[in-house]
Amino acid sequence: MSARDQILRKIEPLEPVNHPGDFKGASIDFDFRASLEVVGARIMTKEELEIVFPGRRRYDKTLDGLSLAEVEVLEIDGEFVVAENGAIWLTEEAMPHRVAPFICQHLVINVKKIVPNMHAAYEELKKPNSSFGLFLAGPSKTADIEQSLVIGAHGARSLTVVIHP
Amino acid sequence: MLSHSEASENFIADAERTDWHDETLWFVRAKRDKASKVLPEWEAMREHASQIKDHTLANLGEYLQAFESKAIANGIHVHWAADAAEHNAIVHGIIAAQGSKTIVKSKSMLTEECHLNDYLASKGIEVVDTDLGERIVQFRNEAPSHIVLPAIHLKKEDVGETFHQHLGTPKGNKDPQFLTEAARQHLRGHFLASEVAITGVNFAVAETGEFVVCTNEGNADMGAHLAKVHIACTGIEKIIPKRADLAVFLRLLARSATGQLITTYSSHFHKPREGQEMHIVLLDNGRTRQLADPKYKNSLKCIRCAACFNTCPVYRRSGGHSYHQPVAGPIGSILAPNIDKKANADLPFASTLCGSCSNVCPVKINIHEQLWFWRQDLMEAGLAPAGKTIGMKLMAFTLANPVIYRVGGSLLRRFSHLLNTRLNPWYKQREMPVAPKESFQEWYKKR
Ligand code: SF4
Repeated sequence: MSARDQILRKIEPLEPVNHPGDFKGASIDFDFRASLEVVGARIMTKEELEIVFPGRRRYDKTLDGLSLAEVEVLEIDGEFVVAENGAIWLTEEAMPHRVAPFICQHLVINVKKIVPNMHAAYEELKKPNSSFGLFLAGPSKTADIEQSLVIGAHGARSLTVVIHP
Repeated sequence: MLSHSEASENFIADAERTDWHDETLWFVRAKRDKASKVLPEWEAMREHASQIKDHTLANLGEYLQAFESKAIANGIHVHWAADAAEHNAIVHGIIAAQGSKTIVKSKSMLTEECHLNDYLASKGIEVVDTDLGERIVQFRNEAPSHIVLPAIHLKKEDVGETFHQHLGTPKGNKDPQFLTEAARQHLRGHFLASEVAITGVNFAVAETGEFVVCTNEGNADMGAHLAKVHIACTGIEKIIPKRADLAVFLRLLARSATGQLITTYSSHFHKPREGQEMHIVLLDNGRTRQLADPKYKNSLKCIRCAACFNTCPVYRRSGGHSYHQPVAGPIGSILAPNIDKKANADLPFASTLCGSCSNVCPVKINIHEQLWFWRQDLMEAGLAPAGKTIGMKLMAFTLANPVIYRVGGSLLRRFSHLLNTRLNPWYKQREMPVAPKESFQEWYKKR
């Protein structure tokens, strides 16, 4: 018997329990600016961005995974930011390559929309609209050495968010 | 192999380090409290998550098959493994087909459970662990001591010395920022070169056939997106029914684990990248046995946040390695005896049964009750550690006899100093509280 059949056969049907449905009663009054700050992102205006990162690279399909390793500052578009935790939803379609937001040294994300919490976020994402998507909250970080927070573990060393009203 | 109490003795020999370990983990627990109390709906959300898991476990077979067919339709290769040996053989087969000799792997407790690294090494394949904490312990030939903070047993001096030996950083440099940068450079080379990447799985969604991997460092993504072949390894209990359920679990996971609002990266792998090969291995290894036992099935709800580790007074003061299992702490102590009763008979006794673990668990597992169930089962099977057996029989006898309880109590109050001896491992590094002169009953009668 295959491992698959073996496993499925061993799973005893248990007494039925209903799925509790979608979670109701979640808080909604979060300040997205405060959350972005907590996760270590900076918020800039378009004008400030021009001054700080004049030579940044925009989305460009010709960039492959390895050549992205050479990119200092990359600018991409996010779909929305979640106010409760500063996470930004990104999809493969809006990036030159899946590894893009990880491998560049510094990352800039444009966002037009804000949703209050993760439940609202998944309302937006009911159907997977992408082969790969992620919530990204701030720059890469680690505290694996004595619990000291270090920014820039393997992924981007900084995250700048530009909110477009 | 040393038992938990013997290994703890080694750990607490360094009093200063023990205190540091204790306080640091308590600090993480305090961060969890802060992050959870911000949400008035926290308790309702724990209950909700627990119900989703109950529902999933009651229908696990159907959800696994639903996941399988969706994942296949998404272009993911799905494999099933009954035990660790099958799991390792499947993973090796995929790597061998690529002809790779060095591969990268992000954090996966399941591959620790299967001893995958050793197995692949025996086949001439080097696994580079890419989580910073895991790379540190890998260099030192140690196992992770905590499922979220793998190198929490080490001080920065230790890491500095390890990196000096393995990465050539200057001797004596123990600056976390500097050492992390050294690891970044070193591991980037491996990410760019590796053709196969292994990751763990935090959640696998039956509705969509996608799986979600959470990290703070970005190492899982760096590996998976640059490799030609991505192998994700998961236990069958990681299934959740719907995409919307992720909202609840992602909210609970990071706040419970480290007090963060969410992990830095929560990646949803739905289909392979163009030209990429993606595999998922679904492992049983005793999970179906656990599921079939009503006393223990709830342990399969675990989302591996480690909140129960951070809050546990025994874990904090004995260190992860004293549990001699890849998953230590309270949850490890109820999972391990299911895999090997005899070898792990000491673990359910490595607890005060204070219940703090159950109180913080985001999916409301009755951890301390299961520890107690295991003690009884192990006693019955004649596997309980000798000292514990006598103690437990004595306790059962005393509690069942009110007279002996009262007389014994009064004797104990007079002679309690005798307990604080070498015979009782519990008093190592502990002060015996002074016993009150009269019992509660005596005091109450006088009033
Ligand atoms: S048992 Fe609960 S608290 Fe412990 S790691 Fe699992 S989910 Fe977290």
